[in-house]
Amino acid sequence: MASARSWRARRFRRGVAGLALAAVAVAACAPPDRSAEVAAIIKGLDNPFFQAMGQGIEDGATGPVTVQAAQSTADTTGQADKLSAVAVQGFGCYIINPISGTNLVQSLSLIAKQGKPVINIDSPVNAEAARLAGATLASYVGTDNTHAGQVAGDFLAGRLPAGAKVALIGGTAGDVTSRARLDGFRAAVDGKLTVSQTVDVNEWSRSEALTRAEEIMRANPDLAGFFVANDDMGLGVSRAVQNAGKSDQVRVVSVDGVEDGLRAVKSGQLAATVAQYPYTIGEMGVEACRAAAAGHTLPATVNAPVALVTQDNAADALSAFPKPFEQYDDPYRQLLQQ
Amino acid sequence: MAEAVAVGADRESLGGRLRDIGFWADWAAVIGLVALVIVFGLASPSFLTLGNIQAMLVSAAILIVLAVGQTFVIATSGIDLSIASIMTFGAVVLGLLYAAGWPILLACLVGVVAAGLAGVINGTLVAKGRIPDFVVTLGMFSAASGAALILSDGKPTQVVDGFLLALASGSVGPFGYFIVVAAVVVVVAHVALFHTRFGVHVLATGGNAEGARAMGIRTGRVRLAVYLISGVLAGVGAILLVSRVGAAEPAINTTYLLNAIAAVVLGGVSLQGGRGNILGPVVGALLLTALTNGLTLLGISQYYQPLAVGVVVVMAALLMRYQR
Amino acid sequence: MTQQSGTAVLSTEATADALLVATGISKSFGNVRALQDVSVWLPRGQITALIGDNGAGKSTLVRVLSGVHPADEGSLTFDGSPVRFASPEDARTAGIETVHQNLALIDDLTVWQNLFLNRELVRGFGPLSFLDRKRMQEQAEKMLSRLSVNVPPIRSKVRRLSGGQRQAVAISRAAGWGSKLVIMDEPTAALGVQETARVEELVKGLRADGMTVLLISHNFDQVMRLADQVWVMRAGRLAAGRRTQDTDGEELVGLVTGAITS
Ligand SMILES: Nc1ncnc2c1ncn2[C@@H]1O[C@H](COP(=O)(O)OP(=O)(O)OP(=O)(O)O)[C@@H](O)[C@H]1O
Ligand SMILES: [Mg+2]
Repeated sequence: MASARSWRARRFRRGVAGLALAAVAVAACAPPDRSAEVAAIIKGLDNPFFQAMGQGIEDGATGPVTVQAAQSTADTTGQADKLSAVAVQGFGCYIINPISGTNLVQSLSLIAKQGKPVINIDSPVNAEAARLAGATLASYVGTDNTHAGQVAGDFLAGRLPAGAKVALIGGTAGDVTSRARLDGFRAAVDGKLTVSQTVDVNEWSRSEALTRAEEIMRANPDLAGFFVANDDMGLGVSRAVQNAGKSDQVRVVSVDGVEDGLRAVKSGQLAATVAQYPYTIGEMGVEACRAAAAGHTLPATVNAPVALVTQDNAADALSAFPKPFEQYDDPYRQLLQQ
Repeated sequence: MAEAVAVGADRESLGGRLRDIGFWADWAAVIGLVALVIVFGLASPSFLTLGNIQAMLVSAAILIVLAVGQTFVIATSGIDLSIASIMTFGAVVLGLLYAAGWPILLACLVGVVAAGLAGVINGTLVAKGRIPDFVVTLGMFSAASGAALILSDGKPTQVVDGFLLALASGSVGPFGYFIVVAAVVVVVAHVALFHTRFGVHVLATGGNAEGARAMGIRTGRVRLAVYLISGVLAGVGAILLVSRVGAAEPAINTTYLLNAIAAVVLGGVSLQGGRGNILGPVVGALLLTALTNGLTLLGISQYYQPLAVGVVVVMAALLMRYQR
Repeated sequence: MTQQSGTAVLSTEATADALLVATGISKSFGNVRALQDVSVWLPRGQITALIGDNGAGKSTLVRVLSGVHPADEGSLTFDGSPVRFASPEDARTAGIETVHQNLALIDDLTVWQNLFLNRELVRGFGPLSFLDRKRMQEQAEKMLSRLSVNVPPIRSKVRRLSGGQRQAVAISRAAGWGSKLVIMDEPTAALGVQETARVEELVKGLRADGMTVLLISHNFDQVMRLADQVWVMRAGRLAAGRRTQDTDGEELVGLVTGAITS
């Protein structure tokens, strides 16, 4: 055994030696200077919302920019790994859209040591956790999802008779965005409409939303409206309404303003969508990086634009897509124009 | 790999060995890792920086812990499909207890115990219920994530705690605590598998359960024990996970399940059981982590990353067929 | 057609110094009644053979005696006291070692690991006991050297051994523990002439050392050469018993096929 073992150990040592040799060989060339570049780590690129966000980041940048995304919205540690990986490359500015309030905090503490600005977009980092980890955020830009839900609620309350029955369809149970949108909607319709029930749909699945909507309509023949937490599910729900032959009776309102959603509003399948502008959020994120590089002090929080899209303005919204069709405030651009 | 054939007659010349595909098969994971290190090292100057190596080791830690647990199960010719859900379940228990005001160490302990219990249920059903491993752990996969959702009401619990934060970011010399935890798990597991009676019985149960039973080994108990180990290590993974992401989240990350199995396969452990090895899966876990890290550094779209993992795993499995 | 044998028929009534007495053993696997009311006994310090055609139930009886399968009915007395073997470990603890027909070797473990399977030597105590590999390897050499013509390398995996070498490992394992009873289910089935001779020497050696042996074999010459007494099984039942000195190969063939009944 002894001789065999030492023979194996020799083989192993040879392997390690090779590894070390390779390391020395590459350590000879110095890393390129990326301090003028921007790295963005976002939640995912597997749905139109984040694709638009990524596009906004790339279009908004004047120089090279690296956009990386998590494998899925459950891939909390994978996203942290990616941020750690880009952090060692010494970028000049980091844009992050964390999956949860805390999953990137540990990686942020690495960046904090470099003293580089971090712009938080879309989903906020938990302030307490950031403080404990010694991570500082230069600025936050995102949409107020509660506000988006309120806009949808005001719209539906204005269109439906008092006390009309509506049902709410949320995304994955416990998802912060979904919850905020539903809460905002409920607050806005309180005392005006009757919320008959709320269901959550795992993984924001369009087909499951469709099935659930069918069940809800069967149980509530007098239902007058659905509020759905995103456009994709909203399209599934509107299909359920069509299948049930209730297009005239049941109105569907959703949130997001993705291209398909806008088209559906134009064609009347959706009564309205509350458009958020991930493209603009991404764009504002890189503007914030530039403003920070130019030495400006950034505002702590910036609200990204939200717009109610109904049949009246759907055409405008579509032609301007993915940018907003209305004027909006952009404090970073104002800083850069000073 | 560490226990690769150890027969005197095997000492051929170096050239002979290099021509023997069995040599490459035995060392597939190490060779793959070295190849990746060279390729990425040349392609991205940041890859071999100390900071990046530390980051990789930290991010490999959870996977290593899970892969070690999975190795024990696979060595008995079982498979634990529930390992990532049990980790999620343990994390939720930990998070809820912490939120309820329990001291963090106690919350961690009970989280590990809860995960261990889930493992015991797996083991009991496999050993006593004589239900195939695949079916039992597929059921537990669903049940544990369901339990996590029910307990947490689907909501993430923030666990912002000094101790866990220190665990995530502190280090002993250049080695983060995560790496230390993983290293301890690896050493203990290696000793348990190769230097105790239990380890021999694990391999015997996986290699020839009927024969092992005929020699008086209580294969049922062995199976129960490996699922307990797998559950407890999932619980240890849960502590690392919560400390890493600062929250206990009920959503399960199936990447951990797939990568834990992939790491074990890459490490040369046969899914048929009977052949175990701890260092191989560890190298496999490092390889998978280095792969994702390198692709990220090179700015390659994450769409390609699962593809790359798949290709590597299948190539390794092909090579493994020539294992001696 | 049937001839009545004139020679001394062995009674199923055990003598007082019998090491093992099995009484009325029955065992079914679903609809297959593998053993029906089988009673046999093994004289202490002697070699007893068990013969019968394929499927007669020999291996099933072996597995009952070695604790692998509990019997459905019947009782066992070992070394003077009634026993119930709930597991092979119970039987091994009582002093019964078995060479199973399928050998019960673990292919991916080494020869020495197989020899010490579930009898591993450790250093330390309690949870801190670690395998004493060196001592096991040394003893493994000794256990094997008693037997084989070409001793298998103790550090090689059993997977790489020839059929004869595998058998040698299984036999050495059963013989190596100084137990009271060694059961061998067709130990020479895969062996060449030289190896068979060695195994026969070993079996005689065990008897010389005072051990009791139960030998299952299809080779009646071998049975006549080695055994002191013979049990014959047919279709799950005990067909006959003989002292070897009172019988010959021809009669055994008749008993096995059923041409002779007793
Ligand atoms: N585990 C089992 N499950 C079902 N049937 C079994 C089992 N073991 C044995 N049998 C059946 O019991 C009967 C006796 O088998 P056994 O192996 O004892 O025969 P044998 O006398 O050892 O034969 P051979 O000389 O071929 O080894 C056969 O019909 C066999 O098919
Ligand atoms: Mg047989």
